[in-house]
Amino acid sequence: MEPAIRVRDVIVRSASGRDLLSIPELDVEPGEAVVVRGPSGAGKSTLLYALAGLVLPTAGSIRWGETEISSLGDAERTRFRRKYLGMVFQDHLLFEELTAAGNAALPSLFAPKAERRAVGDRAGALLHKLGIGAEPRRVTTYSGGERQRISVVRALAGDPPIVLADEPTASLDRASADQLTDDLFALADGRRTLIIASHDPAIQARAGRLVSVVDSKVRVSPYA
Amino acid sequence: MPEMWRVFWDGLSAPAQDALVLVILLLPAVLTGFLTLRGYRPWPLIAALLARNRWISLTFMLLVAVSVAITTGLTSQERALREGAARAAEKFDLVVTAPGSDVSMMLASVYLQPADTALLDGETYNWIAGNERVTLAAPIAFGDSYKGAPLVGTTPDFVTHLASGALAEGQNLTSLFDAVAGARVPANVGDVIEPTHGVPESFLAPASDALSHGVGYRITGKLPPTGSPWDRAVLVSVESVWEIHGLANGHGPDWDGTLGPPFDADRFPGTPAILVQADERWANFTLRSELSSERTMAFLPGAVLARLYVLLGDVREMLSLLAFLTQLLVTVGIFVGLTLLTRLLAKRLALLRALGAPARFIFALTWGFAATLIGLGAGVGLGLGLGTAELISAVVTARTDILVEARLGWSELHLVAGFLSITAILALIPAAMTMARPVMDDLRG
Repeated sequence: MEPAIRVRDVIVRSASGRDLLSIPELDVEPGEAVVVRGPSGAGKSTLLYALAGLVLPTAGSIRWGETEISSLGDAERTRFRRKYLGMVFQDHLLFEELTAAGNAALPSLFAPKAERRAVGDRAGALLHKLGIGAEPRRVTTYSGGERQRISVVRALAGDPPIVLADEPTASLDRASADQLTDDLFALADGRRTLIIASHDPAIQARAGRLVSVVDSKVRVSPYA
Repeated sequence: MPEMWRVFWDGLSAPAQDALVLVILLLPAVLTGFLTLRGYRPWPLIAALLARNRWISLTFMLLVAVSVAITTGLTSQERALREGAARAAEKFDLVVTAPGSDVSMMLASVYLQPADTALLDGETYNWIAGNERVTLAAPIAFGDSYKGAPLVGTTPDFVTHLASGALAEGQNLTSLFDAVAGARVPANVGDVIEPTHGVPESFLAPASDALSHGVGYRITGKLPPTGSPWDRAVLVSVESVWEIHGLANGHGPDWDGTLGPPFDADRFPGTPAILVQADERWANFTLRSELSSERTMAFLPGAVLARLYVLLGDVREMLSLLAFLTQLLVTVGIFVGLTLLTRLLAKRLALLRALGAPARFIFALTWGFAATLIGLGAGVGLGLGLGTAELISAVVTARTDILVEARLGWSELHLVAGFLSITAILALIPAAMTMARPVMDDLRG
């Protein structure tokens, strides 16, 4: 069952004691598409990393379904990420020396043994669906838009119910950004929860709900 | 060592013991690799990380290679020199000369290095040859040369002894001015050579004094290669050497021309050295005592060499210490280098952790990356060390005529195996350190 995300009274502080993020309340239901917006440096990425369990809150609660993420150890949080999360980054962060297929199937290298083949096959099928990665050439030979789409496939290779995307279109031209947005929403297919940090009005327009981060504080809007 | 193990160990052949030591030394590296990589195949990512950081990886690998090359090159070269010197002396069980330095006389008679030597007379020769345990007593008379190759006066029996019973080509000395050339002498069977008096750079006969005797020797045979300075020598009858110097030829007036003993003591002009072979190998030790007198010095070249090795043992130990220190410094360098290298991988490793890669996968990947560099470096280093040692061996062989053949031996393999195991275990530390890095900072970095 896909977990709902419940966040209550979360504060993330830096080592020097500065508040990086404050989330009084945030609920994300399974299958929702939420866009996080706000100026650069406001804390959008920190919000995504906190939801992913990559940054632990100084105070408050982040629950995935019934599980309190902040109380889990590193290994358990990693296992949760592997099982429930796919992540897309602004600068796609691909392994440049690998092919498109090699990058897309990266999660198969560390998936549980019984799932490795399925993860690899799924990555291949998704690439095929997007019409890229048929040739065994290095990923650096692809355009920026194609590379970001390959990173979307990588995020979805493990078939996660939740996808977190951090400014996925920020470094793309308009056409590539639109293509990527189409692919992201098509592959999410209404079944997956999408939480996207983005300035892009085209993405914001397709969100079910907008969340604003201003001065490190999260404000939830009821409507898109 | 418990008795059972001692019996087991002593029952093994030397190669089996060496192989077992190799396995034991490699075991920590293999076990570390097995336990670290178990369940994962991170090789595509390791290859990608190596390619991404190719120059620094190459530099690091070369650092490992050079350190392994220095160590293995030093040890294999030292062993090759020792083996080459011993091989060159193996045909010389016992040598008798006039009293003096046995080291100098060994260099002169076995390694054909020019030396000022007193002569043994005919009475002494017959006393030696007459010993009941002596099966070969061959005069070795030197002083002349042909194109820089020493001309050695001796007997046909010595030629047979040096050739291990069979010449590579042609036939033995039968006539007074026959000659048998060493394997590397630039002369063929049938050639006539004209020796000059003296050996170049010898104080016996300075080069300016080098004069032709006006006598030609016909090459009748060629020796097989012996890996010793004798490969560059020309062997002639000792009778001819005496004759061309205007001396008696060692035989009485009724001599029928048959070369070699018996010699007439009164007509024996003298010889710097006599090679002696006993009927049994152990008897050489008895003969050494029996043939040492006020007039003579008998020595076993093998024993003199062994004494030299003991004397040079300090140098050997210093070389070993230098090699060990080099290895230690490089190992510390490798540890520091690995720590810095893993920082270069930080962003990629953070990405993998964000994607849900378990800590053990990251650990396996980082360790595998380091182990690949160390393994490749050690492999290249072995080749580089061997290549360098071979090059030095070729130079030494060309300069001394002693065949020095550097090759990889068990000691080099043991050394590299120990190095691999230590560094494989050390590489666990930087691999563990990567786990403590903050993912968010590394992803943004």
